[in-house]
Amino acid sequence: MELKFYIESGIIESFVLGLASEAEVEELQHMRRLYPELNTEVEFVERRLERAAFDEPVLPPAEIRDRVLQKIRWDHNSGGHFGDNNSNYTFINIQPKDGDHITVHRWWKIFFIIFFIMSKVFLFLAIFYYLKYRQSQEQRSDLLPAHYQQEQVQSRSL
Amino acid sequence: MVEDPAARALLYDRYAGALYNMVLQLVPVKHRANEVIVKVFNWAFHHIGTFHSSGYQTLFAWLMRKAREFAIKEVVPESALTGTELIKQEEGILQRFYLVLPTDQQQVFRLSYFKGLSIATIARLLALPEEQINDILGDAMRSFRQFLKDTWN
Repeated sequence: MELKFYIESGIIESFVLGLASEAEVEELQHMRRLYPELNTEVEFVERRLERAAFDEPVLPPAEIRDRVLQKIRWDHNSGGHFGDNNSNYTFINIQPKDGDHITVHRWWKIFFIIFFIMSKVFLFLAIFYYLKYRQSQEQRSDLLPAHYQQEQVQSRSL
Repeated sequence: MVEDPAARALLYDRYAGALYNMVLQLVPVKHRANEVIVKVFNWAFHHIGTFHSSGYQTLFAWLMRKAREFAIKEVVPESALTGTELIKQEEGILQRFYLVLPTDQQQVFRLSYFKGLSIATIARLLALPEEQINDILGDAMRSFRQFLKDTWN
């Protein structure tokens, strides 16, 4: 009776849809060990859902199939085994092996571009502020003699 | 599995259509749904050994669970979607089930299944206690059980 109530609570559907919390999943696995007939019930639910999805399949575009199967072939080959017995492709490694070349991550390209742009910006700012500084120095030197003259006139009059 | 191209093709040919249907209900943008399918099968080919310890009885449910995980990451805000890229969102078993639910269960089920939000987040969003959200989701799951039984027993 307790098991029937547990099944009817919808916990299996929640588990199958991936909505059950960790605690609920643990509890369900514990109950499955205690009551192996729960496994049959889980299978029933999964089969119903599977039948529902199979009743109205939507085929992905053909290129997705190629991508899925091609991707795994590349992944497999990148493990060091170039070419497999069932493949019609011949893989040629064109990377030079003379020790003069290094391979770096693509982020380094972005980093160097940003670094280059920033260096140009800072160079421009440095020149700009240097010229501004020079200009202010010249203005001060132009003003200073007049200031001294004024001070001298004032001291004479006193 | 990774080494056997025939097994990979068989797995894809058997489940891709059904999975794509489920993914489109979560990610109604075709190119994003396509990416999810590529990721799911790539993952499955590498992790097929974990199926028996996953607790799932059928490969479809195991794949569907993973497809939802990938799809949730691809979900875009509804406001960001335009009419031309939306497809089949109103179709599919889970969309149909969603439409027969009462409003409160619809709201919680949508946020939980379609948006992948946790109970705590949903409770915060709806300004309700977590226990209440759990109860509403529990009711929705009981309804889903009945829905599956009535339609595909």
